[in-house]
Amino acid sequence: MSGKKSEGKSGGVTGWISSACRFAADRNDFRRNLLVNLGLFAAGVWVARNLSDFDLMSPQPVT
Amino acid sequence: MGSVLAASAPSPPPPGPGAPGLVSVPPGFTMPPVSPVSAPSSSPTGQQDTEPPLPNPGGFEECHRKCKEVFPVQMEGVRLTVNKGLSNHFQVNHTVLLSTQADSSYRFGATYVGTKQTGPGEAFPVMVGDMDNTGSLNAQVIHQITDKVRSKFVFQTQQQKFVNWQGDTEFKGEDFTAAVTFGNPDVLMGSGIVVAHYLQSVTSSLALGGELVYHRRPGEEGTVMSLAGRYTGSNFIATLTLGGAGVHASYYHKANDQLQVGVEYEVSTRMQDTSVTFGYQLDVPKANLVFKGSLDSNWVVGANLEKKLQPLPLSLALSAYLDHRKHKFQCGFGITIG
Repeated sequence: MSGKKSEGKSGGVTGWISSACRFAADRNDFRRNLLVNLGLFAAGVWVARNLSDFDLMSPQPVT
Repeated sequence: MGSVLAASAPSPPPPGPGAPGLVSVPPGFTMPPVSPVSAPSSSPTGQQDTEPPLPNPGGFEECHRKCKEVFPVQMEGVRLTVNKGLSNHFQVNHTVLLSTQADSSYRFGATYVGTKQTGPGEAFPVMVGDMDNTGSLNAQVIHQITDKVRSKFVFQTQQQKFVNWQGDTEFKGEDFTAAVTFGNPDVLMGSGIVVAHYLQSVTSSLALGGELVYHRRPGEEGTVMSLAGRYTGSNFIATLTLGGAGVHASYYHKANDQLQVGVEYEVSTRMQDTSVTFGYQLDVPKANLVFKGSLDSNWVVGANLEKKLQPLPLSLALSAYLDHRKHKFQCGFGITIG
């Protein structure tokens, strides 16, 4: 009985992990692409906001 | 003989209780000090400083414009353009396009700018049109009817047939903009497209609005509604559009005088597709150079290089697009004279 319970719990966790991996790897899944691209958008905004102090025209330090 | 003291005037008697004209104060108490009465102020009481009026938010279609301008424009083949100004109001241009994917073509364009001056660098009516070697026409007529009402008509023909024509009217209020567009109306068939836009300034930084698209064809009709919000900061603009067709979010950031960055996120529920694009624009004024680059989530890399060859009236444009997934490369080259 305890073995069955442990097996069920382990199977549930394993199944969840495998389904999560399949979801993350499925490029044709619309919801997956939606979430991934939303994260990429947030990362892009973060990069853009941190470019304020970036100046290409400033003289480079002499090494 | 009289005394000297007898000649002086007698002193007044001390005031006693109950004397008329005087306030009686019990012993041990003193009157509180009274401040002098101030002179009346020049500004009338009750009036407060008014807040500055809200600005006009601009057109609905301009919400994402700043971000889109940062991305490179795809160009294919070789394009040679010659611009010639015939007068202060009339300009013509000749364009030759050599392409390996589509048919090569020649286009003749004309631009007329009227004499009605509405602002710095603005004059109406504006008529823009071009025709290619097969006789297909693209034309636009923009006119400022009143100080707040502007109208535009667009015509497109494929050789001798009208394929697209639309008219729209835009009303710019003090803190809002409303527009209505009619596309391809056919009274006999009972078909057409009507698009309504409204954008309202809520604060000096925030503008909210909506879009309603109604389309009708024989046996079919439908509406698509979208809501939009735009927040304008000191050096950034964030815009979000939510609707039945999908989501469109854009973020524009001006890092400094040379660098502008844009990030765009688009979702299409109908096509079940989504993409993110990161782009930047680098201006080098000393070299008369503008460079644009982009990278999107479909692994498409784009780049544009525009350089003015001063003091000649010559502009050089290079464009390249690489699609890593489809293993497709596309490049373009353009020269503009005048």
